[in-house]
Amino acid sequence: MKEFKPLPALPAPKDTVGMGVWVKQNLFPNLVNSMMTVLIAGFLISVVPGVIDWAIISADWSGTSQLDCKKDGACWVFVSAWMQQFIYGSYPDEQLWRINLALVVLVLVIAAPNVLQKELRNKLGVPMFLLYPFVCAAFLDGRMFSLEYVSTDYWGGFSLNVFLAAASIIIAFPLSFLWALGRRSDMPFVRSVCLILIEFFRGVPVLALFFMGSVMLPLFFPTGTSVDKLLRVWIVLILFMSGYMAEVFRGGFQAIPQGQYEAADSLGLSYWQKTLLIIFPQVIKVSMPNILATFVMLFKNTTFLLIIGIFEMLSTTQTALSNSNWLGGHATEGYLFVALVFWCCCFSMSMISNSIERKLDTGHKN
Amino acid sequence: MSSEQISPTSEPKENVIEISGLNKWYGSFHVLKDINLSVKKGERIVVCGPSGSGKSTMIRCINRLEEFQRGSLIVNGVEMIEDVKNIEAIRREVGMVFQHFNLFPHLTILENLTLGPIWVQKKPKQEAEQMAMKYLERVKIPDQALKFPGQLSGGQQQRVAIARSLCMSPQIMLFDEPTSALDPEMIKEVLDVMVELADDGMTMICVTHEMGFAKKVADRVIFMDAGEIVEENEPNEFFNNPQMDRTQLFLSQILEH
Repeated sequence: MKEFKPLPALPAPKDTVGMGVWVKQNLFPNLVNSMMTVLIAGFLISVVPGVIDWAIISADWSGTSQLDCKKDGACWVFVSAWMQQFIYGSYPDEQLWRINLALVVLVLVIAAPNVLQKELRNKLGVPMFLLYPFVCAAFLDGRMFSLEYVSTDYWGGFSLNVFLAAASIIIAFPLSFLWALGRRSDMPFVRSVCLILIEFFRGVPVLALFFMGSVMLPLFFPTGTSVDKLLRVWIVLILFMSGYMAEVFRGGFQAIPQGQYEAADSLGLSYWQKTLLIIFPQVIKVSMPNILATFVMLFKNTTFLLIIGIFEMLSTTQTALSNSNWLGGHATEGYLFVALVFWCCCFSMSMISNSIERKLDTGHKN
Repeated sequence: MSSEQISPTSEPKENVIEISGLNKWYGSFHVLKDINLSVKKGERIVVCGPSGSGKSTMIRCINRLEEFQRGSLIVNGVEMIEDVKNIEAIRREVGMVFQHFNLFPHLTILENLTLGPIWVQKKPKQEAEQMAMKYLERVKIPDQALKFPGQLSGGQQQRVAIARSLCMSPQIMLFDEPTSALDPEMIKEVLDVMVELADDGMTMICVTHEMGFAKKVADRVIFMDAGEIVEENEPNEFFNNPQMDRTQLFLSQILEH
């Protein structure tokens, strides 16, 4: 009998690999695309040097007041002079360490699941995560920790955007999962309640929700109690976020093959064991890109709070722009700075989500 | 509980499954019509029939993946009723292997095997892992323990699925077309494991079209069509001397190739 010998693998032909081939294939494959390449290159050459000159070369970087801005370029002095306001709002100078500490802890809480071992992750990481918003709020408030009391009227700036977004996401995450489960439930009452909640908070514009939160929500609290404005906003954000996330999770649920439920059932797992051990991890995996998109949306939506007079970053910027010492058109620098800060944060969130996706990928294609 | 329990025993062969007058409808469609079947401990039963004949639906009723509307079903002395505790008790005694393996893709092979013992039977992790490795050796893939299901071939995945069921020390094993989604080269490795399991005295109900397997291990072959049991007999009689013309037609069609 003859032996079967596979043919040896040959190197790819020379004219299909290399730098020159890449340029030809991607930049000048045909007439139309070549023209587009030339046009875009021309546009970049005419615009980019001007932007660089304005933003960097002819810009003023150091100083303390408007008078230090003498060149024609950007006046970054405006940003540096107001930096503390932009980041911390009116939080007292000597207490800023509390905000810094809370931010560091937030980073740790987010990083923990990636660093901790599997056993510790569930026992330590998850409770830490869920407790963070409450402990953080109490810590910034100060009374419970016998620190100096700082009323929420003084909280503000970019740190407030971060805290509000993080605190809402953390609470909305489990809540929306429950709503999504409820929407799939066999029990008609649970199902309709969840359906109404989801559709209400998804269907009403977020600005309308904020106004309702600041004007209407107090009507539902017992008379005589006054509930902090920021707390009301937090509740609105949580509910709004939950409505969206519940639908994201629902999409994830539908991607899980029926066989997974049957396999879990046939092992004798209870409903909650099946849901938390088998279904939840897989739903998270399929929904990761959409979960992130919802996070980013909520994070950016926190700037809408300027409408109801919460001093988050955008409204701090507007206050700074209308300050009598800084009149003179620093709007471009101010808004550019806000945009840059938000973009950096959202981009890092993208990176984190990509790394989580890679981590969850176990090479299984359903 | 250990695997010793599934070895042949001399105790009286009582019925472990007792199905009587079982009827099931999907909406108004009558899928199972008056099914009567009893299975003794250690018996190996092969169920065959054309697609849509209700054979999968019937065995899925046994661990209540499907509900039925009329009739009674007793598994291992426990009557199946509408009660979560009751259903979970029956499911603990019945292992099931699916056509599409249904391994948990986010867990390693070892975690797939230990999940049931740890969470349902509340076994310590170490004990569960030892037992899992024992069964992985039995299905001949102990070296894959730390991989994920997506990294294994279909035949290996199906053997893992069998080991996963065995880890729960079931009294009865149900196989729902375990080789239908496999390449010809992999069918054999799965059937070999099933034959070994049969030789050890496990009570088995297999929905399969592998007639070679049926001839080799079955104590009884059941032929179903249109939601009914058309004929049941021991394999020799069934294949050589079928009583019903429907059975004859089916056999001539599948044995032609």
